[in-house]
Amino acid sequence: MNVIKGFATTFKHVLEESVTLQYPEQVRPFQQRYKGRHHLRRYDNGLEKCIGCSLCAASCPADAIWVEAAENSDEERYSPGERYAKTYEINMLRCIFCGYCEDACPTQAIELGHEHQLSFTDRRDVIFTKEMLIDPVPAGGQDTPQQVAPGAFNRSIPDMENPK
Amino acid sequence: MKHILFREHEVENIRELDVYVNNAGYAGLKKALGMTPDEVINTVKASGLRGRGGAGFPTGVKWSFIPKNEPVKYVAVNADESEPGTFKDRQIMENNPHQLIEGALICAYAIQAKAVYIYLRGEFWDLATQLDQCIEEARKAGYLGQNILGSTYSCEVYTHLGAGAYICGEESALLNSLEGKLGQPRVRPPFPAQKGGGLYGEPTVVNNVETLANVPFILYEGPEAFRAFGTEKSPGTKVFCVSGNVVKPGNYELPLGITFRELIYDHAGGIPDGRGIKGILPSGASGPIVPATDEVLDTPLTYEDMDKIGTVLGSASVIVLDDSIDIAWAASKMAKFFKHESCGKCTPCREGTYWIDKVLDRIITGDGAPSDVDLILNVAKNMQGVTLCALGDFAANPIIATIKHFPDEFKRYVDPALKQEKKAVAAPKRAGGAAQGRAGRGTEKTGLVPAGD
Amino acid sequence: MVKIYIDDREYDVPAGMNLVDAAKWHADNDIPVFCYHPKMEPVGMCRMCLVQQGAIEKDRATGEVVLDEHGQPKVRWMPKLQTACTQRVTDGMVIRTNTAEVDQARQNVIEFLLTSHPLDCPICDKGGECPLQNLTMEHGPGMSRMQFQDKQHLDKHVPLGDLIYLDEERCIQCARCVRFQDELVGDDVLAFHERGRRLQIITNSNPGFDTYFSGNTTDICPVGALTTADFRFGARPWELTEVPSIDPFDAAGSNISLSIRLDRDFGGKAMIKRVMPRQNESVNEIWISDKARFGHHFTRSENRAQSPMIRNANGQLMQTTWEEALKSVASILKAAGKDVAAIAGSQMSNEDLWALREVMSAVGSTRLGAWPITHAGADLVAQVGVGVGSNLGDLGKGDAVLIIASDLEEEVPIWRLRLKLAKERGVFLAVANARHTRMEDFATACLRYDYGMAAHFLSNLRAENPDLAQQLAQANNLIILTGAEGLSLDGSRALMQAAANFLIETGHVGKPNNGLLSTFPGPNGMGQYYMGFTPENTQDIMINPPKVLIVAQADLYHDDPSASQWVHEVETVINLTLFADETLSHEAHTILPIQSFAERDGTFTNGERRVQRFYTAQGPIADALPAWQVLSRLGEKLGRGKAKLSAATVMADIAKNVPAFAGVTYKEISNVKRQFPDVGGRDLYYGGTAYQNRGGLGVQLKTTAESGEAINTAPVELVNAPRSQAGQMLIVPTTVLYNRERTFLPSALMHPRVMMPYAEINSADAAKLGIKSGDVVEIVADTMRVRVKAHVNGGAPEGSIVLPRHLTTEAVPMTMTLGRVSKVD
Repeated sequence: MNVIKGFATTFKHVLEESVTLQYPEQVRPFQQRYKGRHHLRRYDNGLEKCIGCSLCAASCPADAIWVEAAENSDEERYSPGERYAKTYEINMLRCIFCGYCEDACPTQAIELGHEHQLSFTDRRDVIFTKEMLIDPVPAGGQDTPQQVAPGAFNRSIPDMENPK
Repeated sequence: MKHILFREHEVENIRELDVYVNNAGYAGLKKALGMTPDEVINTVKASGLRGRGGAGFPTGVKWSFIPKNEPVKYVAVNADESEPGTFKDRQIMENNPHQLIEGALICAYAIQAKAVYIYLRGEFWDLATQLDQCIEEARKAGYLGQNILGSTYSCEVYTHLGAGAYICGEESALLNSLEGKLGQPRVRPPFPAQKGGGLYGEPTVVNNVETLANVPFILYEGPEAFRAFGTEKSPGTKVFCVSGNVVKPGNYELPLGITFRELIYDHAGGIPDGRGIKGILPSGASGPIVPATDEVLDTPLTYEDMDKIGTVLGSASVIVLDDSIDIAWAASKMAKFFKHESCGKCTPCREGTYWIDKVLDRIITGDGAPSDVDLILNVAKNMQGVTLCALGDFAANPIIATIKHFPDEFKRYVDPALKQEKKAVAAPKRAGGAAQGRAGRGTEKTGLVPAGD
Repeated sequence: MVKIYIDDREYDVPAGMNLVDAAKWHADNDIPVFCYHPKMEPVGMCRMCLVQQGAIEKDRATGEVVLDEHGQPKVRWMPKLQTACTQRVTDGMVIRTNTAEVDQARQNVIEFLLTSHPLDCPICDKGGECPLQNLTMEHGPGMSRMQFQDKQHLDKHVPLGDLIYLDEERCIQCARCVRFQDELVGDDVLAFHERGRRLQIITNSNPGFDTYFSGNTTDICPVGALTTADFRFGARPWELTEVPSIDPFDAAGSNISLSIRLDRDFGGKAMIKRVMPRQNESVNEIWISDKARFGHHFTRSENRAQSPMIRNANGQLMQTTWEEALKSVASILKAAGKDVAAIAGSQMSNEDLWALREVMSAVGSTRLGAWPITHAGADLVAQVGVGVGSNLGDLGKGDAVLIIASDLEEEVPIWRLRLKLAKERGVFLAVANARHTRMEDFATACLRYDYGMAAHFLSNLRAENPDLAQQLAQANNLIILTGAEGLSLDGSRALMQAAANFLIETGHVGKPNNGLLSTFPGPNGMGQYYMGFTPENTQDIMINPPKVLIVAQADLYHDDPSASQWVHEVETVINLTLFADETLSHEAHTILPIQSFAERDGTFTNGERRVQRFYTAQGPIADALPAWQVLSRLGEKLGRGKAKLSAATVMADIAKNVPAFAGVTYKEISNVKRQFPDVGGRDLYYGGTAYQNRGGLGVQLKTTAESGEAINTAPVELVNAPRSQAGQMLIVPTTVLYNRERTFLPSALMHPRVMMPYAEINSADAAKLGIKSGDVVEIVADTMRVRVKAHVNGGAPEGSIVLPRHLTTEAVPMTMTLGRVSKVD
């Protein structure tokens, strides 16, 4: 009897919808707020949002981010304002995907996306450089460095909101 | 003698040296040179003369602060007349220049100064030329230079032109400008009368033109003759510069103690078209505005009584605003003036004047919110009492006083219910208007001093 | 001392002290300030330091303290808040800094300042060490009432000069920079323009911001309005590691901090991102010259020597290992017998010099030459130099300083700054030279003599300038500061002896703030002497060249036009060098790459004989090693015992063997104590961003005069200087601060400030020779031939040509000589 009971339970569950996903063939849909690998964003005209302020690195609890800044000029402009990130690297082995960098960013340049397939065969591949992190140039935009009209982009930080 | 200062009304061509001398000119100086410097200071003290530049500090007392043992001392004459609505010193210097020179020399003798500098605002370049001629004539006649009138006392008089800044009327900024530096006020102490605080670091008396022009009379006629005018605490006559919405704007030399009503209606001919008065600015843009109530109109114009109605006599540049004037607009005008004239040295004044102007602009273009009025009131209060010189306080006055006395004038602009209505009413009717004064060159008929001397 | 009350607690403070200083120093109460700076006169303009001030009421008749109903002293409060910075403490002063009214006032000032300040902090170089940021966090309103569109937008990129940039939006008009230039430096090249909210900093010099001290304004700027061309966006302040170091350029030995950070472009090694002053009130206070601040690029020059090289049989330099190189050098030295000499430059540290001396002892040679050979008489400085505890900042009324044969602003700018301030405190400052120098602008008395006659002038001072001699002799404290302009080495010795004699005769030796100072080139002129290296030996080496010559950090060819002749007679040259491209490399048999001051530990002995320590900061260049290590290992191979493992153990050796260094240890050199004013401490808003001294204040070596030994005068051996004659003119080599030396040229940002090669010619001579200002002239003397631009500007006395050294690529003689000048068509 017990045997039958046991099989019955088994068969009952066979007919139920499976909980296990056949990853990587199947991928679970992500919550919008899921924190995967980072992206460096661009403005619509192609300029980089990142101004090389290093606040992400300062806020990083795992010391995973390395930023070196340099000065922009109108002839060779990467981002609005005077400063841009010459070097931007994230060590994905160190990163704990806490999202503090996102919170610290004054220009919303760094955002954690949904990509989570981060496996490597060489430790050196784990360091994501700026070229790997930055978004492609949007349609209608121009790649950086750009040559722009003098004085057109002299503010690093987007305009503030008025007090309510 | 009917006028102490505007003697051109009694004596024609008193600006000429010989005419001036023939009419008791330089007699005060002659008398002073026969006295000890201390006696001169005591005479001026006894007259009760108070500074006519605005603060009303007793002149004799100011002179007595100068240390006796310092070898080098100076007199600086403040002819930077730059308060909106003030145009009295100019008339004195134009029509009775030798009286100023004589007064300055008496002051110089009293403190044993070696030189007098007359600091004129940059726009007075024509006056400077004229004064230079007068100084040259006086020197030739022996009234200044080496061994004045045969005495052992020597003193030089120079004119100096500023570059056009309101702040240079403030005594320490004036001294900076005179030294060729940026016209910004200095830290006090040391005060100008102290070693280290005055011109080139030497003790210096800084007096207004009108103040010094009173001195020859006090010396020649005696302090009692001077006290025959005015009140106990505010003796003497005062030039009232009346401008704004009056029929006869101009300079009126009158004894201290007359009322606004007498000044405006008896002397200045009242308000055009019989309109009512809305407010009075008793001291240009820097003194707090007062509403023209009966109580105010009957207040005697003295240093002490002005205090009672919450304003100051200042330089007595009375600007009358009739009932057609939009007070918020007037406040904005004054805010613009102070924004333009703040020297930028102290944070609250530099930033506050700029901020207030921006918000007021927003208010009078109808884009303001009710909270904006509270904001500028608060900002103005934060500017008060925390700056090096009085400009910070002056700049706050037009805001605080106008909002205090005329809250509805601002409400019209910011209250959502009233705004619609307001937009229909066009901006101020009068071009030129309040804060500018139209008094011209002071040739209007002048008031009479009661016969008594 | 007077009693004051701060926030109801009683403190004893010195009468007349500035209230902000007193509160900070004695009561640990940080009254916030922006415009006030402890080194400058207060101006009371930012209004941040408002406090409630009162005084304990005293009965006028009896002078007794009036008590209130509770038996407490009655306080008469002032009606308005007062600015603390403009108050000097007086007895019975009562201050409250913690009332609601004061809090509100501070909050208001911050709010006012922020209405015009941009929200730039993320990209601002000051962000993280910014007084405005700090005080906003502490006292700010936390919320804005200003509408964004009301903010004023101004130019954010205004180069005031080649070195300093102004961001007009960030400026809060505190005038610290203007006042620094006017009051402290005396180069009034900055000013305010316009008024009110349009008030802006401008420069009124051409070239812009033309002063040797401009970098200091960026330290004292309480916001990020002034930034240096060198550091702009280099790193965020919190990412930097501070390493204490010493200015490697002049005899003042200014204390500096090297701010380092790892850098991708520098191979991931630690790299100097900026040089900042480090407080040492006895040496450089909190100031450094622009040369010290911006001259660090030579440490990363692409010409730095990478590996040891040995010349092979074909005469080609081949890269090798240290072991091979040292083995080879050791065998060369052994083979040479005693015919070995060494010449050491003045950028060598004490440890390097000692290790070199050990190597020389091992081979039995005492021919230790110092380079360059301009200044003699270091032995006299060791005898009668300024006493232990000397501080140019202590000089005041009743004291005197004589500067002779020196262009101090160009030679030791920090001394020039501090002596200018001393003059303003009442010091009698006499400047004697054959020509006008900048120092004369600040002098009490200016004296002239003919070139070459400095020693005669000083020897005959009492006969020929009795008034001046009396002034100097009667001074409470007297310092004689000598240079070597227009002197031969013998002439320099005569001048030093004359100066020493005058000091000894008038009793101005063996005491603090009394004695002899000299503008020895480089940071370790005195160290050279103490380790046994003298210019007289060098002279001898030049006349009798040895078989083997060790040249350590001395740029012979660039300094001396005759070098090619006498170096040629040396059989083997072993060159310890920073740079592979030195002309000497063509001659050298062995090139041993060594490390600059930034890459290793060591000590320098400055002109005041202060032994000061610098620490390892920057990553090493390839195979380069510290010179002491190279030489110590070489010593081991020559049988001098085991090689030393650290600079500190070398110092221990020095302390054992050099009497003047007895007892000196790294530990003692690294001692620090609290210095007034408190700069760079917990808060950063008070004295600027100069670093607090955590690396050591150094140890000042005793003079012989102080150790109790009798000091006697010695006869001055006057040298007859050459006189211009028959078409020959005096060629006077002088020093200019910004030049083309190998240790300065790699600082590319300074290039616009380095003069094109020039010579100053007197108008009478110029007329005779048909030379006009701007003409190219050729100057020929002995072994020198240079072409320079003529400046006919009254700078040179008749018969002489003032020719700055190190501006031309060809060497200019180190000392005065005769030569001919002709116009080049």
